[in-house]
Amino acid sequence: MNGYRVLVAVLHKEMLTEWRSRDRVIAMLIFSLLVVVIYHFALPELPSSEVPSTVSGLLWSAYLFAAILGLNRSFSAELENHALTGLAMAPLDRGWIFLGKALANFILLIFIQALTATAFALGFDLDLRSLFLPLAGIFALGAVGITSVGTLFAAIAVRTRNQELLLPLLLLPLLMPILIAATTATRALLLGEPVPGTPVRMLVMADTIFLVLSFICFEYVLDD
Amino acid sequence: MNPPAILVQALEKNYGPVPALRGVDLEVAAGEAIAVLGPNGAGKSTLLNLLSGLTRPDKGTLNVGVGEPCKDRRRARARIGLIGHETFLYPTLTARENLIFAGELYGLANPKQRADELLAEQQLEHAAHRAVKGFSRGMAQRVAIARGLIHDPPILLLDEPFTGLDHSSTEMLCAKLCRIRDAGKTIVLVSHDLALAAKIANQAILLVRGQIVHRCSGQQLTQSHLEQQYRTAVEPRS
Amino acid sequence: MNSSTTTHWIDRNAAKLGTPSLLLALLLTAVWAVSVVTAPVDSAQGLIQKTLYVHVPCAFAAYMGFVITGLCGIMYLWKEETAYDRLAYAAAEVGILFCSLVLITGPIWARGTWGKWWSWDARLAVTVLLWFLYLAYLLLRSFSEGSPRTARFAAIYGVVGVPVIILNYFAIDLAGGRAMHPDNLEQGSLGAGMGMPFLLGVLAILAIFFHLLFTRTEVETLRAEELRTHLLSDSH
Repeated sequence: MNGYRVLVAVLHKEMLTEWRSRDRVIAMLIFSLLVVVIYHFALPELPSSEVPSTVSGLLWSAYLFAAILGLNRSFSAELENHALTGLAMAPLDRGWIFLGKALANFILLIFIQALTATAFALGFDLDLRSLFLPLAGIFALGAVGITSVGTLFAAIAVRTRNQELLLPLLLLPLLMPILIAATTATRALLLGEPVPGTPVRMLVMADTIFLVLSFICFEYVLDD
Repeated sequence: MNPPAILVQALEKNYGPVPALRGVDLEVAAGEAIAVLGPNGAGKSTLLNLLSGLTRPDKGTLNVGVGEPCKDRRRARARIGLIGHETFLYPTLTARENLIFAGELYGLANPKQRADELLAEQQLEHAAHRAVKGFSRGMAQRVAIARGLIHDPPILLLDEPFTGLDHSSTEMLCAKLCRIRDAGKTIVLVSHDLALAAKIANQAILLVRGQIVHRCSGQQLTQSHLEQQYRTAVEPRS
Repeated sequence: MNSSTTTHWIDRNAAKLGTPSLLLALLLTAVWAVSVVTAPVDSAQGLIQKTLYVHVPCAFAAYMGFVITGLCGIMYLWKEETAYDRLAYAAAEVGILFCSLVLITGPIWARGTWGKWWSWDARLAVTVLLWFLYLAYLLLRSFSEGSPRTARFAAIYGVVGVPVIILNYFAIDLAGGRAMHPDNLEQGSLGAGMGMPFLLGVLAILAIFFHLLFTRTEVETLRAEELRTHLLSDSH
């Protein structure tokens, strides 16, 4: 009915609260930049021929951890005055509320991805400018998968004990197909190969499955 | 005679193996206010959750004018305004932004106008553009009430709305609820405060361990009567 | 709608089938053990090849456990009958047991054949991920409070988990390409005289799986029943 309007309203509310506090985006950003520094010190000096194939894995693990850090706080504002109950009482398919939240998390993650990739490019001396469009596509496909199940299980974890501990344990095994496909695709791009078909199809498939299942399952998350 | 706004028959709810409600019957006519009283853990909140459709019953039927809230959940939610002791507000948003957001959730045609209308009604125009986190408990509760009324619901469910309010805010809320009742809305009030319940409600039930142990209405419904019933029903057991 | 007075078909059958499935499991296991001992020794691998008779059937049981958990998750979300949740929980616990057995027997065989305990082969990696999925499922259960909520959250995890296993299977092919694991199901990979003990192994493990599943479900049912009577007697 008016699902789309609710999606926009939730997205707007999320962006407004995020803009006012900026807690999450700052924490995620500093975290993923720190990861770049840590990788630099933890890894041996790589010969330049091996940098592209290594960096793609590093990049995606940084994204994954930063995303989980941010997702952990995605529903904390909803708990403060039990605003989640207010959302649950909205007379519409709750999947639309989910899409609004997930879209907000997606935008946040894309922003972090862009800045982290820039940091990696500078830190590991890579020229990513010519790869901008295909890389952005792979990043976006990966981010859809991460933020769809991520938002669903963030909503679940926030209503359990030890949410900060639980969320990564729930998400990491589920996100493995996304991680594998996205790393493979990114590595191929960094090695100067054309956009690889199989991992991209895999990402599209995983994204679709995750989005549909999360949209349906979110209905059951908000009940008491 | 009009069909009742709320009709509950033989309602049972267990939380897993734990029984929360054991056979509750209830009939509330449109424009009536019913007070649900009882000690902690008696099943008051469970009853309210069931009426709001957030929880499904194990047995029995439940009707809020459009069929069962657990089956026709969306239409039932549209008819219900829920006000709790929690405000459901986002602390970093202003009062007005909170109300507009709630209006969007209910699909109002003009949420901004409705928000301004309600802010004026609650005498909160001066605070409309301030973040809710700086509000006193009384002010936040007034915004919460505006939020619950945003879609002009025919049925209002209140879960201990007086918690943490000072005397004058309590008086204000009480008067407001009486006005809402007189305007023909149905009110279900869960409360610990027998005096306020006696003032607002024209029907009261006393829940103990998931069962209704006493009902009264009309002339019978006074504070002293409720206090006496409460004592005989609750104290020998504890 | 399900209620406390009429028992669910799952509970009824779990209670009924406990003993027959135990007898069947014992019988099949005995025959299986004899046939494994008398089966010919593999000419290339030697005695260590016999791990296969345990390893592969356990892998079937491990995957089946998670599929049952996922299907019961769907049924629970749809019907909200707690019996489905109990069966899902039981299947996850029995499943992780067999998954652990796969991860123990696999390296024992690998050490003897490949000369190293572990290889990041596709099948091994998928099974490790399955094990972590199970673990996360059980952790989610133990971290959430209120039984309808636990059941709903767990059901959702089970439902999302099943497609992830399938996706993993294809995804890992992308990453590795280091296929060391033998294709057990391919024609001719079993030598002469090895088919029968393998088949018996599958049947025996399935019987054990179902016996454990029924018993575990029954335990969960009795536990819920006991808690209910306990609380009822408290409140009267």
